[in-house]
Amino acid sequence: MNYRKITSALGIGMLSLAFISPLLWAGEPGKLLMETIDKGFAILKDPSLKGDEKVQERRQKLWKEISPIFNFEEMSKRALGQHWKSRTPEEKDEFVELFTNIMKDAYIGKTDTYSGEKVVIISEKQDKKYATVQTKIITNKGTEISVDYNMLNNPGGWAIYDVIIEGVSLVNNYRSQFNNILIKSSYKELIQKIKAKQS
Amino acid sequence: MMLDIKKGEKHVRRSVLLMFVVVFTICVCKTSVRAESSPVSEGQPTEIPQEEKTPVINKANEDSELKHTVSTGQSDNTKKEDTTPADTTQEEEEPINNDVKAEPPLVKDPLQPYNRAIFTFNDKAYHYFIKPIYTGYNSMIPEKARVSVRNFFTNVKMPVRFFNCLFQGESKGAGTEFARFVINSTVGVAGFFDPAKSKFHLEKQERDFGQTLAKHKMNSGVYIVWPFLGPSTVRDTVGLAGDAALNPFGWISYFFLTPLEGFGNYSYDTVNDLSIDKGTTYENITKPAIDPYIALQDAYVQNRIKKIKE
Repeated sequence: MNYRKITSALGIGMLSLAFISPLLWAGEPGKLLMETIDKGFAILKDPSLKGDEKVQERRQKLWKEISPIFNFEEMSKRALGQHWKSRTPEEKDEFVELFTNIMKDAYIGKTDTYSGEKVVIISEKQDKKYATVQTKIITNKGTEISVDYNMLNNPGGWAIYDVIIEGVSLVNNYRSQFNNILIKSSYKELIQKIKAKQS
Repeated sequence: MMLDIKKGEKHVRRSVLLMFVVVFTICVCKTSVRAESSPVSEGQPTEIPQEEKTPVINKANEDSELKHTVSTGQSDNTKKEDTTPADTTQEEEEPINNDVKAEPPLVKDPLQPYNRAIFTFNDKAYHYFIKPIYTGYNSMIPEKARVSVRNFFTNVKMPVRFFNCLFQGESKGAGTEFARFVINSTVGVAGFFDPAKSKFHLEKQERDFGQTLAKHKMNSGVYIVWPFLGPSTVRDTVGLAGDAALNPFGWISYFFLTPLEGFGNYSYDTVNDLSIDKGTTYENITKPAIDPYIALQDAYVQNRIKKIKE
């Protein structure tokens, strides 16, 4: 009798959890972000991927895990700012690809020096389809670096469109650079400069 | 006897030089403030330097998302999109068109040709002179020891943070700094360790005189790159002078050390800091950049705005 009661209670509990939890958590930007970061850390901590000779393999795996959470199109759009509108669709595609490569080259390389940094979530704010997740990176030297992620909820789910490290917005930083170049020279020259940097 | 006179002369000469530097910076700064504030009185809000304008806006709406960028066009969109009900497709394209014209830089940079030259010099100096020094230092001294050295310097420089907390009306911050100093100087063995943070969770209050000036409504002034010191503005340069006056090391070297020893002391502190994380930060900003000069300028200004806001 008792046994049956317990099992049924458990069953109901499990069922309701199964139904409720996705509703409560699914698509929540902070959770998605932390999951992605954890996946990234798992790769960095993986003993079979450690060492200098595995660099390329590790970077590739990491990129595969992490890149889906970034909305590179939105980032490119914002980085180009006022100049985005006057671009042709082909130019836009090309620019998104180039900008994605900038991000990839710049930030995947940083992970090579991973030495036990931790990420803690501090707060999360959500306003309709925009969200800001504030986190802190704690290095093994005890230094704390504040990193905020601005996320946008598109049909594909939540994705990052800006990363703000110690108050420095990545997208704004690149927009300042692109604007400064575009004041003096043409869009073509900007593309050439980016390509020269990447080759 | 002769020696005494010579020493006295040296002191006089040094203090006259110091006075001159301070007076000069104040003059430069005053003129720049006047130049910037005059359009405001004529009622041209577009001329208000960004840093002064943003905090006001931020106070008005608590939403922290946009910070300084409120005025730099694009992020303005986000705000609009945030507050207005999401109207799907139209909304996504529209805002970008709206602020095509308005994208003023965060800081005025009329000295850009000079600044770029100094930036290039600093960059070369960093890569060929300073970096080799600190990488050598790195390989000799273990990280734990370097962190301890930094803790020691941080502890000695407590008056800088303590007084700036007071100047900025943050008595709680000043109290925290005082408690940190007492704990770290005693339990932390003359400041080589930081038990105030690890055991008592008292965080260091990063307060400097540049922030104090900003809180008292001084404009940032133009962007300046100093040889070796790197990016700064008129306001932050005055701030550096103010901090130097509050820095006990400055007084120690002024009264008890030769200029060379004082400089050595300062350089050691700097190199030690670079060896821990400053060097990597610099490279993280400039290496992936398409225009490293602008990238560093923008990062400096954005970071300063954050620190002033805190």
